[in-house]
Amino acid sequence: MTPRSKENHVLFLLIVGLLAWLVPGAGHFLLKEKKRAIIIFATIVLTFSTGLYVGSIGVINPVGATPWYVAQIMNSPMVAGLGHLTTTRHYFVYGRPNEIGQIYTSIAGLLNLLCIVNAVYLAHLRRAETDGGSKCR
Amino acid sequence: MSMIGAFVVASFTAPEKIGANPQSMLWLLPLVAAIVVVYKATKLPEIKAGNFLKEVAILFGSIIVFIVIISLALCTLAWLITE
Repeated sequence: MTPRSKENHVLFLLIVGLLAWLVPGAGHFLLKEKKRAIIIFATIVLTFSTGLYVGSIGVINPVGATPWYVAQIMNSPMVAGLGHLTTTRHYFVYGRPNEIGQIYTSIAGLLNLLCIVNAVYLAHLRRAETDGGSKCR
Repeated sequence: MSMIGAFVVASFTAPEKIGANPQSMLWLLPLVAAIVVVYKATKLPEIKAGNFLKEVAILFGSIIVFIVIISLALCTLAWLITE
């Protein structure tokens, strides 16, 4: 493998991070970690969907629950679309379903943040390994 | 929109009925499972079905046991304070 220049490496890390944010697990998929990618995608999508099913899309509330929304948007930028929908059409949810829905969707977002950081770190480590290998030769 | 499609969309626009009772605490179990699966997927150096499931089961069990111990300790503390 030919070592990448520093600019290309930073761009590659950005692409991995962005892709991992756009679709959970896509960052690992790009790094040819297909099993990890499938597990991450299935788990995060299932957790997020469970939260939406329990509390309805009303749990994504950018106006009334901003701190939760910050965690929820870590799932994917597509959550912003849902947030816009809930603020314009007024889906209300209260009580325990709201709590459980918010916790599930926010934890799914924070788990995706963990996966984004992990994918970027893996991409960085691989570059360090290839650079170290090429210097030894 | 088909009947099935409309049903799926409708189930995401109205919340489920969940009471504020002790049973509702069981909703933490799938969440713990999700956290454990993603954590192990990022931490294990190699993903092999058998080893992955074993690691997930051990961590899931540890978390649940720890939650039970903490809740029992808190219940005992509350009982000692109030009695």
